Amino acid sequence: MTQTLTIARRELTSLFFSPIGYVVIGLFAIATTLIFFLWFTPDAPAGMEVSFWWVVWFMIFLLPATSMRLLSEEYRSGTIETLMTSPLSDAQVILGKWLGVMGFLLVLSVPLWIQALVIELNGSPDPGPILTGFLGLLLVGSLYLAIGAFASAATENQVNAFLITVAVISIFTFVTRFLPYAAFVKNNDFLRNTMFFANINTQFEDFNRGLIDTSNIVFFVSATIFFLFLAVMLLQSRRWR
Amino acid sequence: MIETQQLVKWYGPTLAVDHVSFNIEPGRIVGFLGPNGAGKSTTLRILTGYLPPTSGSATVAGHNVLTAAEQARAKIGYLPESTPLYSEMRVEEYLHYRGKLLKMDRTSRKLRIDVVCERCGLSKNRRRVIGHLSRGNRQRVGIAQALLHSPPVLILDEPTAGLDPNQIREIRKLLAELRGDHTILLSTHILPEVELIADRVMIIAAGRIVADGSPQELRRNVGSGGRLLVEAKTDPGTLCDVLTSISNAQVVQTDPSGDGFSRAIVNAKTRADLRLDIGAACQHRGIILRELRHEAASLEEFFVQITAQQSQRSETDAA
Repeated sequence: MTQTLTIARRELTSLFFSPIGYVVIGLFAIATTLIFFLWFTPDAPAGMEVSFWWVVWFMIFLLPATSMRLLSEEYRSGTIETLMTSPLSDAQVILGKWLGVMGFLLVLSVPLWIQALVIELNGSPDPGPILTGFLGLLLVGSLYLAIGAFASAATENQVNAFLITVAVISIFTFVTRFLPYAAFVKNNDFLRNTMFFANINTQFEDFNRGLIDTSNIVFFVSATIFFLFLAVMLLQSRRWR
Repeated sequence: MIETQQLVKWYGPTLAVDHVSFNIEPGRIVGFLGPNGAGKSTTLRILTGYLPPTSGSATVAGHNVLTAAEQARAKIGYLPESTPLYSEMRVEEYLHYRGKLLKMDRTSRKLRIDVVCERCGLSKNRRRVIGHLSRGNRQRVGIAQALLHSPPVLILDEPTAGLDPNQIREIRKLLAELRGDHTILLSTHILPEVELIADRVMIIAAGRIVADGSPQELRRNVGSGGRLLVEAKTDPGTLCDVLTSISNAQVVQTDPSGDGFSRAIVNAKTRADLRLDIGAACQHRGIILRELRHEAASLEEFFVQITAQQSQRSETDAA
């Protein structure tokens, strides 16, 4: 466990040594603040619902930028060799790296906490949906980053890792969100329901409404574990080439 | 301390390591020598558990590198080829990170970092960012990292690659200081390197171990009976005549060497010492000798000879 946290800590600090970390934090802060100002009007309902809805969408492009270097960079520089010949398991490596970017996700969400505080001070929002919304965002982020770890374990090229991550996340967001409106899906109940089920935005909606549904949590947790497991498999497969 | 049995490694259709077996006793410094692409790094990577062998087995400090991977890795200090390091970290910070991964507690980490920095000459650069260090200093960080947990086995893949002669000498001095405390296996293609420091040399070519022994033993095996250099005051033709008249002598070449002298290189066909015969023959013909000596074969010659044989053999195998 100590070793896993050691890796996580290095990963988190290294993000602050590269411009990427600051660019992502900057973009995220600007985007969320813009949305906040657009909706923070006297007659608007006091809540974070709209902000959160948008955050799920633009995390698709922001989070992969933080996860793309996780393993790709180690492959490229050769440091993976020292890491994989240290007395620790491949699963510890992947878990540590993922926890590192999860830590970054918490730093990233600071503007949202500030906005929640502003609403709290200026209106009388229902704290329930805000808190469950944050929980939902954490779960969405953990899945995005697990997909990112998986893509990064697949290639030593960071740009490819970024593109693979965005492509895979798109399947669970854009594709399953908009394809059900296409004729061949609309008339096929099974296909339509499967797509709605696999859609991250749909799974997140309940959290945003203040509901904590076990099935939603199970969806995110199991999908995250699944992609982390794939990442471990990919890392291990390098030994067998 | 390090034992391999019939190690084989295929990369797809390419055979990189071909039935390599050896046994290294504790406390030895062993040089692993071979041309580029001979399978040195692959063998070392198998020993460190980075790559699994296609077949065969290897144990390090009594632990099988495949079945007891984590125990075996804990006993190894490893410097990979080209010294990969995190360039954004500071030297001390990086060593702490490595120490934590090697499960060292805080006190022993601090203690050992002081020791290895002192030993590797890094004391002045402890607070510097690795990316800003010179090639030689980066190499030192790599070696310091390998020594950190004071492992019984040190595996260094080309520790002197890309260093200048002074830096190479420093690394050699460092390794000599470590003699006895650690079993060291280092790969290189710089021969004088190994001749000076290693107790034992293994030469690998085309994935096979083609020679194994102390540097002296290997040198003794070069040629048959050794080579002689003769320089006498006469023309090359006469010198050649005189020398060929001696049985057991084979003249390799004769050249004029200025001032009316000629120089010849003679190979002895047997192990007999030909110096007396040559001296006598020259005296008999009234030729004045200026130089007559054994030309000590260098390990380099041996290396060239043996690896050339090997590549010829694999070419005929292929044909």
